[in-house]
Amino acid sequence: MHFAYPPRKTSNPPPYLPRSSNLPRFRRSRLQLIALAGLAFITFIYLVTRVSHGHGHGAYSQHRPSGKPPVVLVTVLDEVKYNKAYIDAVKENRIQYAERHGYQTFFPKVGDYDLKNAPASWTTVVAMRHALTKFPDCNYVWHLDQNSFVMNPRLKIEDHVMKSSRLEKLMIKDHPVVPPDSIIKTFSHLKGQDVDFVLTQDKEGLSSGSYILRNGDWAKFFLETWFDPLYRSYNFQKAETHALEHIVQWHPTILAKLALVDQRTINSYSKASKGAEYQDGDIAIRFVDCQAQNPIACEVESQKFAQKWRTAFKNS
Amino acid sequence: MSLSRSPSPVPGGGWASPGLNISASGRSSPTRGYSGSSGTPVMWESARLKAGYPSFSTQNPSFLTRHMRRISSSLSRFSAVNPHTDKEKPARGRWSIQRVPLVGRLRGMMGRLGKKMKIRLLILLLLLLSIIVFYQTPLIYHWRRTSWLGGGQKFVIILAANVGGGVTEWKGAREWAIERDSVRNKKKYVDRWGYELEVVDMSTKKRYAHEWRESWEKVDFIRTSLRKYPKAEWIWWLDLNTFIMEPSYSLQSHIFDRLERHVYRDINEYNPLNISHPLTESYLDAESQSPIGDGNANSVNLILPQDCSGFNLGSFFVHRSAWTDRLLDVWWDPVSYEQKHMEWEHKEQDALEQLYISQPWIRKHTAFLPQRMINSFPPGACSENGNDTRIHYDQRDRDFLVNMAGCEWGRDCWGEMYNYRELSYYLNRMLWERFKEDFVAVIWYKLTGQKVKL
Repeated sequence: MHFAYPPRKTSNPPPYLPRSSNLPRFRRSRLQLIALAGLAFITFIYLVTRVSHGHGHGAYSQHRPSGKPPVVLVTVLDEVKYNKAYIDAVKENRIQYAERHGYQTFFPKVGDYDLKNAPASWTTVVAMRHALTKFPDCNYVWHLDQNSFVMNPRLKIEDHVMKSSRLEKLMIKDHPVVPPDSIIKTFSHLKGQDVDFVLTQDKEGLSSGSYILRNGDWAKFFLETWFDPLYRSYNFQKAETHALEHIVQWHPTILAKLALVDQRTINSYSKASKGAEYQDGDIAIRFVDCQAQNPIACEVESQKFAQKWRTAFKNS
Repeated sequence: MSLSRSPSPVPGGGWASPGLNISASGRSSPTRGYSGSSGTPVMWESARLKAGYPSFSTQNPSFLTRHMRRISSSLSRFSAVNPHTDKEKPARGRWSIQRVPLVGRLRGMMGRLGKKMKIRLLILLLLLLSIIVFYQTPLIYHWRRTSWLGGGQKFVIILAANVGGGVTEWKGAREWAIERDSVRNKKKYVDRWGYELEVVDMSTKKRYAHEWRESWEKVDFIRTSLRKYPKAEWIWWLDLNTFIMEPSYSLQSHIFDRLERHVYRDINEYNPLNISHPLTESYLDAESQSPIGDGNANSVNLILPQDCSGFNLGSFFVHRSAWTDRLLDVWWDPVSYEQKHMEWEHKEQDALEQLYISQPWIRKHTAFLPQRMINSFPPGACSENGNDTRIHYDQRDRDFLVNMAGCEWGRDCWGEMYNYRELSYYLNRMLWERFKEDFVAVIWYKLTGQKVKL
């Protein structure tokens, strides 16, 4: 019976076992450990990636304006109807005010945009939209009608009106949007930081001659909706102003961003017949009566205040 | 039998002497430590092999050679030669293993296994157990629902039931059957994937007393559902005459995991309405003038298919967002409606087209899905130009959903619904069902000439 049993081990064993592999560190048990750790790691990676896969693309966030310039002043000029000297005075007023605070001005002209046969006053709406395009990093856009002057150069839009705490004091809550008896009222629980649209009422209703918008997705949505071709073609009696009253009353997503403030905050009138009359220290004055009459009436009326704003700008 | 040398002790304590007569081995009782085994002394013979590495081996033995002993020793044994068992229980039969109780037998088998094998078995058992726990219990449902695991709660399906019911006509048996099948189909789908299902009643009521706002409930139901399911991110609107053909597709894997690949945002890719795109007005920013918005999938808030005549709102998705609130808000507007309601045959669908055409902010966040991903048509719909591979259902491609759009205008809704239901079942049969229907039933038919349904 040869080889029925294995050969004996050697009688003088080597002092230590020979190395079994070239990599002495990785013994069998270690290899197992490494394999297990690797498996756990891969599982972990899998879980993490599949979770993030479901959420995939992170949440959408709109462009955050950097505040350069902080405010853009938009005035639509009608160079056809009005005298050039008058237009220049209006421009100079805005430019001086803007320079003082590092703002920018934007002066589009009536006829710059294709309104598809709608009244020319619709230009202001599309001009505001254009301003958002031209100044994507501005914080606020202030629309100020052509027949008006900035009277108080010291007041800054972002402090005087748009600061949250200030706005919460200014806004008129639970007030019919369209006076006297609209059942739609401004929100009573609105925070200053949620307001994207500040405007005023005069004796006839909402006034679209002077309002401030906060730059952002909402502003674009609002202006584009306001400029809807079906509103332009509807023959509202007062064109864009009535369209504004319409969307504010019918669409809560617009009402929810709107704050009504006292008229004299941004929109004092030269005469008390249509709204609150200008008093010294108000930021702006608008000549409202004259528009209905003729261009010359506005130029005449503005003369009284032209000197006033020049001295005010010089003294401050 | 002579040995060239005396056998050495082996781990386990046995006396390794395969050639020797067992009764002469010097041990008369089974090894301790294997006391649970059947008690035959032969047992420790195999136990010896298991207890460690075999003390020798020929080069690379084959599987059978390696395991022959192990396998054979676990078989029941003819015990005529075994004096012990006969002595202890002389009355029992000659196949001793049958008389050992099951537990003892299992214990014995376990005892005979090596430590490593035990661990492997344990792992296998755990794996099996976890599969059973995961797939046979509600655990998988809750896994798929949870927003940070499967994410099912992020999807709500709104199913418009009872269309036109209440006022216009009585519901007949067919209408009930359609509704039952459609609802059951969606119910099964959401149960499988952990989504939410909201069946809404579209019956014409005098809900909007002083307006002409009938059939605009779609907007209101979406808004209500967003409120009702605060975790919902996507709302999937489905008309009643739809059938999910492939319930095994989850919305995530079918569309949302790779949204940017599936949707197209440039309508020029398929533009039955000939909408000029992108907008070119100079007062708009670059993003509004871009054909694809910002090009990022996370800015998509509305996903809808287009059929042969434009937008189709029979099956579409909206995403919870400020944008969607605005859309739902301006979708119906009295001034637009007053001017257009004579032209707007499909009310909210036409209104949406109008908004898409005129509003840059809508375009930026709207994307389109190829129709057959969520809204295949049967051959009867959009049939003016014959079969169109962009529009019509093809079972070879296993389309996800069929929308029997317009079947109530002169086509047989119930017939179509029934056919697609059966087709969906046929396409998604399991092995067992195939065996029953393609094999047993066929044989039965050949034998007896009778068709049977198993």
